[in-house]
Amino acid sequence: MPVNLALGHASNDFMIAALVIYSLSVVAFAGDFAFGRPRRAVTTSAAREPSAALAAVGAAADGPAAQGPGPGADGPAEGLAVTDSVPEPAPPPLRAVRQAGPWVTAAMALGILGAAAHATAVVTRGFAVHRPPWGNMYEFVTALTCVAAIFFLFVMIRYRAWTLGLFVIGAVVAVLGLAETVIYTAPGQLVPALQSYWLAIHVTAMTLATGIFFVAAVLGAVYLAVGRYSRRVAAGRAVPGNPIVGRLPGMEQLDRLTYRTIVFGFPIWTFGVIAGAIWADQAWGRYWGWDPVETWAFITWVIYAAFLHARATAGWRGRRAHYIQLLGFASLIINIAIVQVFITGLHSYAGIR
Amino acid sequence: MTNVRAPEADPFGSPAPEPDGQPRGHLTGGASGSAGWLKWAWRQLTSMRIALILLFLLALASVPGSMLPQEGSDPAAVQQYFTSHPALAPVLNRLGLFNVFAAPWFAAIYLLLFTSLVGCVVPRTFRLAGSARALPPRAPRNLSRLPRSASYATALDAGQAVEVAARVLSGHGFRLRRPGGASEPADHWLSAEKGYLREAGNLLFHLALLGVLVSVALGGLFGYKADRLLVQGQTFADTASALDEFHPGRFVTAADLAPFTIRLNQFTAAYIAAGPQRGQPASFHAELSYTARPGGPSRGYDLQVNRPLSVDGVKVYLIGHGYAPLFRVTDARGQVVYDQATPFIAGSSGNFLSEGVVKVPDAQPQQLGFTGVFVPTAVDVGGILESVFPAADHPVASLIAYAGNLGIDSGVPQSVYQLDTAGMHRLGAAPLLMREGQTLRLPSGQGMITFAGYDQWVSLAITHDPGQLPALVCGIAALGGLLLSFMVRRRRVFIRARAAGHGSTVQVGGLARTDASGGFEAEFASLAAELRAAHRRPASRPDSAEGK
Repeated sequence: MPVNLALGHASNDFMIAALVIYSLSVVAFAGDFAFGRPRRAVTTSAAREPSAALAAVGAAADGPAAQGPGPGADGPAEGLAVTDSVPEPAPPPLRAVRQAGPWVTAAMALGILGAAAHATAVVTRGFAVHRPPWGNMYEFVTALTCVAAIFFLFVMIRYRAWTLGLFVIGAVVAVLGLAETVIYTAPGQLVPALQSYWLAIHVTAMTLATGIFFVAAVLGAVYLAVGRYSRRVAAGRAVPGNPIVGRLPGMEQLDRLTYRTIVFGFPIWTFGVIAGAIWADQAWGRYWGWDPVETWAFITWVIYAAFLHARATAGWRGRRAHYIQLLGFASLIINIAIVQVFITGLHSYAGIR
Repeated sequence: MTNVRAPEADPFGSPAPEPDGQPRGHLTGGASGSAGWLKWAWRQLTSMRIALILLFLLALASVPGSMLPQEGSDPAAVQQYFTSHPALAPVLNRLGLFNVFAAPWFAAIYLLLFTSLVGCVVPRTFRLAGSARALPPRAPRNLSRLPRSASYATALDAGQAVEVAARVLSGHGFRLRRPGGASEPADHWLSAEKGYLREAGNLLFHLALLGVLVSVALGGLFGYKADRLLVQGQTFADTASALDEFHPGRFVTAADLAPFTIRLNQFTAAYIAAGPQRGQPASFHAELSYTARPGGPSRGYDLQVNRPLSVDGVKVYLIGHGYAPLFRVTDARGQVVYDQATPFIAGSSGNFLSEGVVKVPDAQPQQLGFTGVFVPTAVDVGGILESVFPAADHPVASLIAYAGNLGIDSGVPQSVYQLDTAGMHRLGAAPLLMREGQTLRLPSGQGMITFAGYDQWVSLAITHDPGQLPALVCGIAALGGLLLSFMVRRRRVFIRARAAGHGSTVQVGGLARTDASGGFEAEFASLAAELRAAHRRPASRPDSAEGK
């Protein structure tokens, strides 16, 4: 079926619109750092003892203190000198966004609008080419950044981690901008090897997992930056009370958020590799052949597995574990940007000329 | 992967935490001499730190396999590398770097890793079996010190409050433990635990990975791979002699080949004709007829890239295609000594400009040989032939003719794609350039050659892999185990009730050992709210409550 050019143009317009709206959202997130409502990074409950750090990031960041006094004794037990201390549920997302101040509200609104435009761009591209819109490098990158943006907006709302928007949406803007300028590929048809419903299964899983790992990598970088600052403060080489660090979630929460993000992405990556193996068996006659791209998907899988193990190994938690996950993401980037483009293999579909 | 090995800081208070990198295994107790060393080595190997290092090594060791050409996937590229790097290639070859994934050092890494895994999984399985039967521990004294805690007052007395809580918690599937006979009567507490499936999922994941390894080995031992190039109109039977390449597993012989025959009736390739993607293939169809066994009925099949043919437990794949120009050679005597389609192989210059060789051993008085190219859509660019489109819109053949001794009878095996010109001399200076249907006279009266047209060929991969299904099952099991271990959290909830005034004070404490995907906080909050509601419901007033 020929490419629908009108839809292709519409997709490009939506993509540019998304880029502009995301940029405005980043500006608003930055504005929150500069002019926003003061916020405590860590509540007393999370600081009380390390194990209490099991509290969700949001509640610790700016929700009501989990251990705060409840509404008081009521019912048949009145007269007893005991105060209820049953944890109350966190406020609903919309109220939490408004409580975070006008800058965050604006940034969130723009972020959601940008993600909507982005998703529309991806979907219209799919309709323009009559297939899942991740058949070449440009399409893959635009789709994975869309996943990253939507997934991160969800994480941000769920865990009330507003201040991280600057970094994640900022990274999305940078990557999407690069995709538009450096690797733009006009909509087109696929080679026969890609004409399979497994494209919708294998590449979709890989796109989802990459978008999620992308968010984890940005969070890990923020974690390492905050950790570096803390160590410099401890060594007397930096002034304590940095206003930017003060607004960020604490190390503990950043660590947990990153871990959960990877825990979410890892099974999807595993599924993507298995689906890829089934497809490889359909198309090439073997389910695993150490094609360069297969090899690097395996390397990525092994490194993220190492990250998950490192979290349970003394001496490897924290900083080292985050270096490992950044290494895992680096292997992913090498696979996308180097192996698929410059090394000849069965997966040479990047479409970059 | 999650931690098969117990995390060092075990909030559940099972055996003492292992110091940095020191595993706690089933092998304990001091021993001396070599046995002690063995135990030490085994403990090191099964420690998480060594497993971590092995994982890194595995990732690192895979890298050269993607950077250098590999024997397994592209032997021609390895040969090419030997030619272009004559000094370096033998060194790399000795290190096994052209066959990384079959190299002994690569096997050493993954075998050590899997040994380490077994060393952890087996004792872990026993421990899980034990803990599945064991009751949760007694409730701690002070529940407010636990990561999650709540307290409230109820009008029930302490004993009844514990009974009500037990009903609520067992309704949620918790396993309960109440004070034994030895505890003082005034002590009212309850321990509840849930989420044993987490550990089971973890074990399933790691065992399934072992299963994948075994399945791959199974396929390597009992499976086979073969290739066959088939020109339009040809038929071949699946026998060792009819296959171009045959790579049997260790326990496979030629007698195990499935006795089918395949004929290629027609091959069609469609290409995008205009726009920026001009020349890119749009579809490939190979129309086959096949018989599953000799004398059986003949069936048709439209073989495509993503649509293999399954016959008799064997799969046949379309993995390549090309052109086979038809040449008719008449020798000096006027006898037709060659008249057949000759497969040419697409070169690197694109658009299916293909190279090949024609050998005419029956020509008299001298044997004839030709090397040359087939250009599907030819354009003359400054005296050099180029192909501008992969379909055969304007096919041209350009050959260089040789006469002399082909060297076929010398006993040295020859490739059909290479001409040994050692015993031959070149006929004429200019190449023989022919359009379809054109006939040219060979120099020095050696005869004539006609470029009669072309056929197309396909290359088929024939594979049989008995490890395939087990590998898939194990892969899915691994994924299931992974999801279980990530999504199920093992958690404990404790209740303590103390008499206070006319009723009692209820303390609820909660603890999640692993909470990979989060959510215990919310679960605890809703459990605590539900317990409080149950403790204040009029129906659970003293008279209606169950006995103490």
